[in-house]
Amino acid sequence: MKVEVQNLSLQEREPQIHELVRSEGMRVGITSSIDGGQLITLLIDPTSGRAYLFDTPLEAANYPCLTRRIPACHWQERILWNMFGLVPDGHPRLKKVLLHESYDADFFPLLSERYLSRTPLQEHQGQYQFLEVKGEGVYEIPVGPIHAGIIEPGHFRFSCFGELILNLEIRLGYVHRGIEKKLTQVDWRKGRFVAEAAASDSAAAYALAYSECIESMFSIELPYRAKLLRTLALEIERIGMHLADLAGIAGDIGFIGVASSFQRIRGLTFSMAELLSGQRFLRAFICPGGVVREPTKLTLNQISSCAENLSNQCKVLLEMLLESQGVDDRLRGIGRVNLSLASDFGLVGIAGRASGLKYDVRQFRSEYETFTPAFHKLGDVLARVAVRAEEIKMSIEIIRSVLARLEIPGSSYQPLPDRLPSNSVGLSIVEAHRGELIHLAFTDEQGCISRYCIKDPSVNNWTALAMAVRNNLVADFPLCNKSFSLAYSGHDL
Amino acid sequence: MIRLLTYLIRNGIVTRADSFAELPETSNGMPKLSDNPCLGDACRVCEQVCPTEAIRIEPTVAEGATLSPCVTLDRGACINCSLCVDLCSTHTIVTDRDPRTASKNREELVLRSSEISKASKESSRLVQNPFKKSIACRVVSTGCSACDQEIAAASNPIFDMERFGIHVVASPRFADVLLVTGPVPKSMHEALKRCYGAMSEPKRVIAVGTCACTGGVHRGSYSESNGIGDLLPVDVYIPGCPPHPASIIAGIMLLMDRLPGLHDKKKDK
Repeated sequence: MKVEVQNLSLQEREPQIHELVRSEGMRVGITSSIDGGQLITLLIDPTSGRAYLFDTPLEAANYPCLTRRIPACHWQERILWNMFGLVPDGHPRLKKVLLHESYDADFFPLLSERYLSRTPLQEHQGQYQFLEVKGEGVYEIPVGPIHAGIIEPGHFRFSCFGELILNLEIRLGYVHRGIEKKLTQVDWRKGRFVAEAAASDSAAAYALAYSECIESMFSIELPYRAKLLRTLALEIERIGMHLADLAGIAGDIGFIGVASSFQRIRGLTFSMAELLSGQRFLRAFICPGGVVREPTKLTLNQISSCAENLSNQCKVLLEMLLESQGVDDRLRGIGRVNLSLASDFGLVGIAGRASGLKYDVRQFRSEYETFTPAFHKLGDVLARVAVRAEEIKMSIEIIRSVLARLEIPGSSYQPLPDRLPSNSVGLSIVEAHRGELIHLAFTDEQGCISRYCIKDPSVNNWTALAMAVRNNLVADFPLCNKSFSLAYSGHDL
Repeated sequence: MIRLLTYLIRNGIVTRADSFAELPETSNGMPKLSDNPCLGDACRVCEQVCPTEAIRIEPTVAEGATLSPCVTLDRGACINCSLCVDLCSTHTIVTDRDPRTASKNREELVLRSSEISKASKESSRLVQNPFKKSIACRVVSTGCSACDQEIAAASNPIFDMERFGIHVVASPRFADVLLVTGPVPKSMHEALKRCYGAMSEPKRVIAVGTCACTGGVHRGSYSESNGIGDLLPVDVYIPGCPPHPASIIAGIMLLMDRLPGLHDKKKDK
């Protein structure tokens, strides 16, 4: 989408942004920098989907933090410090997120050499310090970075009293690969492969966000058919991941028959993905300008029959899951996040909607015609399961409607110029299966990407997990964790 | 309960009888080289579009009277985007639908058009393979989770690798083989080495996916994400981004010296 850059001085920045968040109900999408010489703040109006971008020039490496009055920014300001060496004054818990002890203390991957001299000298923090809960009988359980299951790496430090979790501190960054930097180094036509590799379970969403971000710089309107095919890919991915998460939750509570059935019908979404794109993870399909391959009529019919099959199977399985007394008993009231916390910390996707935040990027997009987000009020594991179940049904409906509209032939690719426009800004916001995914890019005079900024939905939602598990049983942690279904790689980039 | 049992029984057995069947027509698969000669300097499209520089076209080599350019395709760096296959006008690079893509050494992943008929030699072990009948795998993920999900899919009801004696275990202490996915960024180096150190002998390592083989698209970044080659001794490489679950099972069975050939794959039913 197109976005205008507005200037905002450093003195006015904190009060004005706080005012917009408080009175206008806006959410902070991104707070970051381009090369360390300025702060950029992206505000999003969750009721209209409009975005506002503010540029604040910096004289020094310090700035007053937003976190004090807008807690939702706490994680991004830590990342900003990691990547640029910009210090948020007054941040209550400034710790390294992405760059661990193995990196030099004064290594800031995205900081321009121009501003290196004014960056305060960094003392090596030594071994990472976890928040310590003191008191008789309080003990710690360290978990990770390598987990027992087949999942990505991350460290959890539980402070427990008996069976209760008093505090959970999450340490991430183990899979930080430097995607944002890499995206400024490769040709923009090849960048989509790097973006997809950021978090492959959201490959379609990442490719879509990357493509739309590039297209927004050219101000090109895509053929309607291309948009529909992209929507199809995105919804197939969503169903697949939601099914995998439900399978995980069902497995954790010992509902094995349903869990393995969910895994089996997840295979159907893989087949649909493979039919559409040639890849089970829908990679290398969506590209700037449209999609790389046009499905034949036969393929679309096959996808359609897969969708019908999926719809029938889902109906039975979701009923069995949600109507089971045992499941209700086991999931109700576990891992609650209430509405005020959810809105203070700017939760997105399922986590936000299960707590009552009716924010779904899809409601602002033309491909979806009429769209009302599914939501729930309770904010517990059961609510997140219910929202997922609802969204699976909605996505199948969307696939039906998209397939019907694809009957009309047309072009699905629009060639783009070779060079990106110079000094331009690209922005895209996509509802990935985990929630709001934002890509923001800036080009320099030569039309090369000088900064590529990605905000994964998990950046907002990891805090929600830490809040949800408080005063819950240690044994309920896996359930809470799976109900949020967070990405390590998407967060770490 | 009765409803669930009826549902499960009605759906019957879904496990694939032919585990290493060719991938479906619609699948991209991995690229391979055919006998068709390459145009060489006149084209070079594949070289330009390849996102990971996996393809190189060597200057024309004289082969008797005919001059044919030598195409080098490194499957260890390939992320199967299939752009090269789509754009190759001479069909020198074609789709490989055989899921058995794994290899015991890194060099075998590099295909060269001048030696297509090269028969891949099994490295002969003097001692009997201790993992012939069963193998316990420990998965260490250091990447984007696609490979992890495909490993998980390999143990789902459809692919069901447990029937071949392949188990996924929760600790390196009782694992025979380490399956490493992802390019291993700097912050994971230490954890990975310690995990390997915690395993008892005999132990093996499998690099699952292109990232683990070479770093894939992440190669050369400041996070030193260049795959596991420099960190651990690798016994089997499974290329692909991500590899198909059947390819993963085939790779593990290659390590067990039990991988069926195309002709005798029916025996495994």
